[in-house]
Amino acid sequence: MAVVHCDGKTTKEINQEISELIAKGAKTIEVRSPSARHNLAVGLLQPVELLFKGSVGYYCGGMIDGARITVQGSAGWGLGECMMSGTVVVRGNAGNSAAASIRGGTVVIYGDAGARAGIAMKGGLLIIEGNCGAMAGFMMQKGTMIICGASGHGLADSMYEGTVFLGGEAASLGNDTKVCDPDEEERRFLKDMLSEHGIAAAHSFKKIVAGRRLWNFEKQEFELWKEVL
Amino acid sequence: MEGSTVEHKAVLRHSRIWRPEIIEDIQAKAELGRYRFRGFSALLSRALPSFDDLTFIPCTLTRIPLEGYREKCSTKTLLGTRFAKKPIELAIPIMVTGMSFGALSLNAKVALALAANRCGTSSTTGDGGMLLAERENARTLIYEVLPSRYGFNIHHMKMADAIELTVGQGAKPGTGGLLLGAKVSEQIAHARDLPPGVDQRSPCRHPDWMGPDDMVIKIEELREATNWEVPIFVKMGATRVFDDVKLAAKAGADVVVVDGMEGGTGASPDVLLEHTGIPTLAAVCEARAGLEDVGLYGKVQLIIAGGIRTGADAAKALALGADAVYLGTATLIALNCNKPIYVEDYHKLGTEPYACHHCHTGRCPVGITTQDPDLVARLEVDSATDRVVNLFNALTAEIQMLARSCGKADVHDLEPEDLRALSLESSMITGVPLVGTNRVFGGGPGWKDRHG
Repeated sequence: MAVVHCDGKTTKEINQEISELIAKGAKTIEVRSPSARHNLAVGLLQPVELLFKGSVGYYCGGMIDGARITVQGSAGWGLGECMMSGTVVVRGNAGNSAAASIRGGTVVIYGDAGARAGIAMKGGLLIIEGNCGAMAGFMMQKGTMIICGASGHGLADSMYEGTVFLGGEAASLGNDTKVCDPDEEERRFLKDMLSEHGIAAAHSFKKIVAGRRLWNFEKQEFELWKEVL
Repeated sequence: MEGSTVEHKAVLRHSRIWRPEIIEDIQAKAELGRYRFRGFSALLSRALPSFDDLTFIPCTLTRIPLEGYREKCSTKTLLGTRFAKKPIELAIPIMVTGMSFGALSLNAKVALALAANRCGTSSTTGDGGMLLAERENARTLIYEVLPSRYGFNIHHMKMADAIELTVGQGAKPGTGGLLLGAKVSEQIAHARDLPPGVDQRSPCRHPDWMGPDDMVIKIEELREATNWEVPIFVKMGATRVFDDVKLAAKAGADVVVVDGMEGGTGASPDVLLEHTGIPTLAAVCEARAGLEDVGLYGKVQLIIAGGIRTGADAAKALALGADAVYLGTATLIALNCNKPIYVEDYHKLGTEPYACHHCHTGRCPVGITTQDPDLVARLEVDSATDRVVNLFNALTAEIQMLARSCGKADVHDLEPEDLRALSLESSMITGVPLVGTNRVFGGGPGWKDRHG
């Protein structure tokens, strides 16, 4: 396994070293002592496997297409944001805006996630084993979010489409949400996804989708619209 | 009493407060139960301080002019010289601003890209991602990274010649974009990952960063993802320009774009178009003062947008400190916007040529701001491209004409000293002396002295 030591290096030098190793054919790269540097492994287009031995800062795995990234620590804001495909796994906690606007791929957070997890998701899958903060799934467009724990205020506010599965309680639901029970197929999907990622969640999930009352301007529902117009 | 009735002819007295358009607006809102939206730009119930309030003072005896019709006058424009390995070099200081495929038709987007290409300048993607037809036809393409991230694709960003991190726009600073359901066709919905026909209201904040401290990291991310090769622009609507420009420059932008309140849009709440932002004239002065204040004027390039109509507007912006101007609405007008053709279709929209601001309806009579295939077909790409090329050539020649008359062999050498103010107000805003007095009223570019 190829190894990158981060001590004494800038983000630019570390990313450069990762790129050079990939160019030389490395399939698996271990990155030691990332020390919460920002912008590690952003914009990678190769299906490489990266293991960060420690915490990472903002935007780790941002804008990737195909890489498999594991963080043995915690992550800062914007984990895996705008990724097209691939996997980003964080063993610890993730800061705000995890999986923001992802169009595909999978983000797994084994700890807790901060505010705005899964904001503006356009596809893909976000799994949070712990709890998440306020405004999770805000303006979600497509894709699936599984929150095994509890959520903060305003869960799934103003979603266009997409699905949020919530294992715990939400401090409050966002505007225009519809809560229902997952069907048989969805329960199987949840079970499969969680077992695939080694998450033991025996409890049941609620399913939250867009109420679709905000899709088009309607004066009839002014009480709803005045919050969101 | 006989004969006491005074015969008089009634004179209709209209209120300046309750003007017909105000009455119409109140009655429309009484029906709608919401704010109104529309396209185009601010219609304005009063005149704004504008570039029209300045005049050039060409050479006479104190300075020697260049031959206006023939001597060489460079228009070459370099952007992104601060950090990018590959700054962009344009043949002219006029660029096409970001307008989305969605707000505009495919034919309009392609014509603009082709025209920019032929003029040696750039076009910009817009809020909906990159159209491959645009990339194929554009010489220099700027990729916008917007709060909505609709259609964001790392492969597309890596194909771009520059990246524009958009914080806001002049038409509606502080508020996200708007695309009404009529224009969210199957194709547009697919590109943006939205349900077809939805009234798309874009977010105003980026999903993964908030203030200027985060933006420093975001800019570094964009550079890391593109190997520090292409310039990073930061675009903002003109509000607290002096401070905002300093923050953007300090955050690491190569180029700052400031879009004044005259800036156009495909759709916006009317109240924001009319009542938010500051005029482009003031924006360019504040932006320059801001860059000077942090010692980055000349290192960070400045692009000015918002209601630039003529070579004179552009030349005055350059003289006040801009490196280039963005054109949006003017390019659409060259494409045929508001032209008196298909007049019956303007009437169907309740408007007429020269007064149309109905881009938001998706029923553009001339095929520019629509997704309806029959209407789009009315915009013939080749001739539309020619018209935009001609406009850009004409504006470039106008800028050169003014520069030569001021004795400048490079349009970027135009300076505030080449200008005089026609009003007290514009003198105070720009720091250019008032005509007939040779005095600056109010301090002008010393704007910073009052806010520093």
